[in-house]
Amino acid sequence: MSTKEPTEADILRPINTFTKKYIILYGAAALGLVAFLIAWAYQLQKGLIVTGLGDWGSGGGSTWGLYIGAFIWWVGVAHGGIILSAAVRLLGMDRYMPIARLAEMTTIGGLSAAGFYILVHMGRPDRMVTSVIGHYHITVNNSPLVWDVTVITAYFVLSATYLGLTLRYDISRLRDDLPDMFEPVYKIMTIGYSEKEDEVIDRMVWWLAAAVIIMAPLLLHGGVIPWLFALLPAMPAWSGGIQGPMFLAIALMSAISGVMIISYAFRRAYDWDHIITDDIFRGLLLWLGFFTLLFLWFQLQANINGVFLGPTNSAVAAEAKMAHPLYQMAMAMAFLTLVYIFLQAIRPSLFSKKRALVASCAILTATLTEKILFVVEGFLHPTFDIYANTPGTYFPSAIEWLSLVGTAGLVALLFLNLSKLVPVVELHAVEHMRGDHEHSDDATEPEVEA
Amino acid sequence: MSTDDESFHPLGEEWEDELESMLDDTEYDSELGMKMAQDAMRVTEGELSEAEFHDRYHEEVMEEFGEDERPTKEAYEAAQEEAKGTASRMLDKFDGDGDETRRETMKKMGVGAAAVGMGAFGTVADGPEQSLAAEKGPRQETTEESDTQWGMTIDLERCDGCLSCMTACSQENDLDQGVNWMYVMAWEDENHHGASESGNTDVNSDFNRLSDFNMLVRPCQHCTDAPCEKVCPTTARHTRDKDGLVLTDYDVCIGCRYCQVACPYGVNYFQWDDPDVAYEDIDGFEDPEDPDEITHAKYEHGERWVDSRAPRGVMSKCTMCPSMQDGKQGEEKVGTTACETACPPNAIQFGNVKDEASDPSQHREYPTKSRAVINLNTDIPSADVVDSNVSDGDSLEDAIEAIDSTEDADLDADMVAIAKAIEIRSRESETEPGDGENNSILEKQQTVLEFVTALEEYVDLESEESLATLDLDMTDSLEDSAQIRLEQYAGDPSSFQLLEDVGTNPNVTYLGTQPGPEAHQVEGPTKYEDVDLLDKRQEYLDKETVGHVDGVSL
Ligand code: SF4
Ligand code: SF4
Repeated sequence: MSTKEPTEADILRPINTFTKKYIILYGAAALGLVAFLIAWAYQLQKGLIVTGLGDWGSGGGSTWGLYIGAFIWWVGVAHGGIILSAAVRLLGMDRYMPIARLAEMTTIGGLSAAGFYILVHMGRPDRMVTSVIGHYHITVNNSPLVWDVTVITAYFVLSATYLGLTLRYDISRLRDDLPDMFEPVYKIMTIGYSEKEDEVIDRMVWWLAAAVIIMAPLLLHGGVIPWLFALLPAMPAWSGGIQGPMFLAIALMSAISGVMIISYAFRRAYDWDHIITDDIFRGLLLWLGFFTLLFLWFQLQANINGVFLGPTNSAVAAEAKMAHPLYQMAMAMAFLTLVYIFLQAIRPSLFSKKRALVASCAILTATLTEKILFVVEGFLHPTFDIYANTPGTYFPSAIEWLSLVGTAGLVALLFLNLSKLVPVVELHAVEHMRGDHEHSDDATEPEVEA
Repeated sequence: MSTDDESFHPLGEEWEDELESMLDDTEYDSELGMKMAQDAMRVTEGELSEAEFHDRYHEEVMEEFGEDERPTKEAYEAAQEEAKGTASRMLDKFDGDGDETRRETMKKMGVGAAAVGMGAFGTVADGPEQSLAAEKGPRQETTEESDTQWGMTIDLERCDGCLSCMTACSQENDLDQGVNWMYVMAWEDENHHGASESGNTDVNSDFNRLSDFNMLVRPCQHCTDAPCEKVCPTTARHTRDKDGLVLTDYDVCIGCRYCQVACPYGVNYFQWDDPDVAYEDIDGFEDPEDPDEITHAKYEHGERWVDSRAPRGVMSKCTMCPSMQDGKQGEEKVGTTACETACPPNAIQFGNVKDEASDPSQHREYPTKSRAVINLNTDIPSADVVDSNVSDGDSLEDAIEAIDSTEDADLDADMVAIAKAIEIRSRESETEPGDGENNSILEKQQTVLEFVTALEEYVDLESEESLATLDLDMTDSLEDSAQIRLEQYAGDPSSFQLLEDVGTNPNVTYLGTQPGPEAHQVEGPTKYEDVDLLDKRQEYLDKETVGHVDGVSL
């Protein structure tokens, strides 16, 4: 492990370098996004018939599919990200400070992707403003979809504020080393800044973090998003009080995995071994293990409840879900990752960053699969299960698959752009690590070995 | 804009029931609420007028909530301008109604008063004009409750699975292949087997079972507490205040498909691509400049487009033909639907389910008698034929003989017996068709009753001898015997609604066998493709799916 002192120059490196690899990555991400935009344009021109979706019931299709599955997955990544960062600030988990801002940016990225999915999913996205905003005061009383949009917007604002506030500190101090090209942006961001506000901002950020943590189970992925499904009597596969905790566990799993992958990339690209340390990866892995354990436990609860106690219709739904090979694959991936995390915890030599990366990818794949299946399963086994054409058939079209590439590209572009504009690691973190360097190893090491 | 919710609060009736208990938890004066609730009951009983009621509490309400937006506001204001008329309007309203409506209304008014406390919460967020009880225009009607609720009673044992209704709907509304707003299916479950196996134990007459299949006829249920409407993020899916139809505004819908997800019956069909019939070719678009000519295309009082097939990217489902109900297709079509008209065995009875005299109400409340009426009506001789062929002193046998031998009538003792039984059974209930639209069962019953009256001019049908001839003497009570006779003739079907426990309060009632939870669809007497219908729409949709691979599915 490196014993280099972290410096301001380290965190400024992404801004002041311009490499070939960066350009290639940028090109690839842009290509992914543009490819999907073209596909979407085609979908707008032809109608949603170009997707694999259809009418449930006599039609023998699935009303929602990959778009909605990916939508709730991205929202999960976003909500997990903001919870992660809030926890770091609120509970004083200083060890993770270097990745707190990455987690916040993940939230912004996740919410952008999710918002994009809302549009992509609609038959008439052009009416979004007139139809939805125009009747907001009425529909907000009933429609979970409207609550959803409300919550997503609220958290977008909250996360952006949060990020913006903490950035003022960094930008005003590092201003001289930042590129002049973006001068106007920095000017706006640091408008009215004086050192006296640091303390106030600190307190504000703390309260924002507290709000995020408190509202997480209620309004974020533990509440409004599962309610989108769990409140409908039509589809027993979705109902049940366990959906709230389940969604939250999935959100945190996905966010931790996502942040690990992004951290890995930045560490490799900018030699940040001494900033995003192995220690951080080990810690994140343990947390990932914890939430994966919860997730598997909730899955077990839902399945056992459905099969043994549920009324006929939910038993049918639960059995069908468990028999699905993709579901089994997703659960196996989550379980194996859990086993690995457990083993590397008792035997630290089993840890490597590459393995942590593989574990993260496995978890992200598992959660995305679970989400899409979750959505589709609902339509396959409805309460009114009389139709000969139900369960219907659904397989995502090429355009739907491409949307995953497109939104991943969108989020990657966001990181690539932001990293050229502002430091993605907080100045606070660097200062903190420098000050605490002597005893930081002692403080954290036992936890990892435990 | 209006949400056009049927119940006064968008969360529906259940919520209203909870309201009373919730009132105690509000920061507002619950005693005032309860006092008002009591007086509201008096309003419904006609002891107090709306305006008096409003006036009585006006000051206290202003003091407590800072505004007074109770449903009676309008009446109060009207009364202040013009001190007459209001009370009689109120009395008119309640006198004319049947018991059901009256009870409903009483409940609403009581809870309505209690809701003022909650309404005040709403106004904090929405501003006074959105206070639920107070809105002008269509919303106002929600507190007054319209007298009309279109709906159906569908006699599943009369359905022979011919699919005429599906075809008629598809033509009327220019639907795409696979968009089966009306859907008819045959089914089986562990207790009820299909055509291949005998043993339909619940059938006690040859008359009532037109096919060997268990049938289910599935239009949109036009639910009073429609989950599809509650989840809609745009109010495109709405309930019309004036007649309770649940419709989709094609100009507002964003195509999120949440209604399709929330509807437990699976009656929604999304317009995934451009519809087969172009906008210009929609039926009734011949003279688009004349608003009275526009039946299907742009429409609902010229404001909302809710009828016919949907344009691309929005949701559609059975509409129960609003252009017909609004008289845009001629007076004679008010109170009918394309499917009802097309059904050869009259299995579908459409009408105002709140009107006791309507076809669906009659068929629901007196299924045995109504079936007998429907079946007998076409053959029963007119009163004139009776008059010109029967003379005083004829015995029953002679009279039947005399009528039967004429050119223009057939008659036998059975028919007379059924007609007489209908007359006996209709004594204690409504027999006037009233001024409701197309109350055909009672109209047909009138014909039957006229025949009986004419015959009884000459023959005493209630003499012991006649009753014996007519087989109406099996019990001591004439009513019971008549009922048994009718049941032998027409069966005694039970009635049910689909998924009653889900709480949607559907406005379609079924007569016949209810499919159990494990019921599944089987091939019916008529194949869909034989009448040019597509059953599995996915087959069509898959053709346009980019990168579709046959047989691959999640
Ligand atoms: S059946 Fe009821 S829930 Fe379904 S679309 Fe019709 S009104 Fe809505
Ligand atoms: S598809 Fe249209 S009608 Fe249905 S919920 Fe969405 S906006 Fe409302």
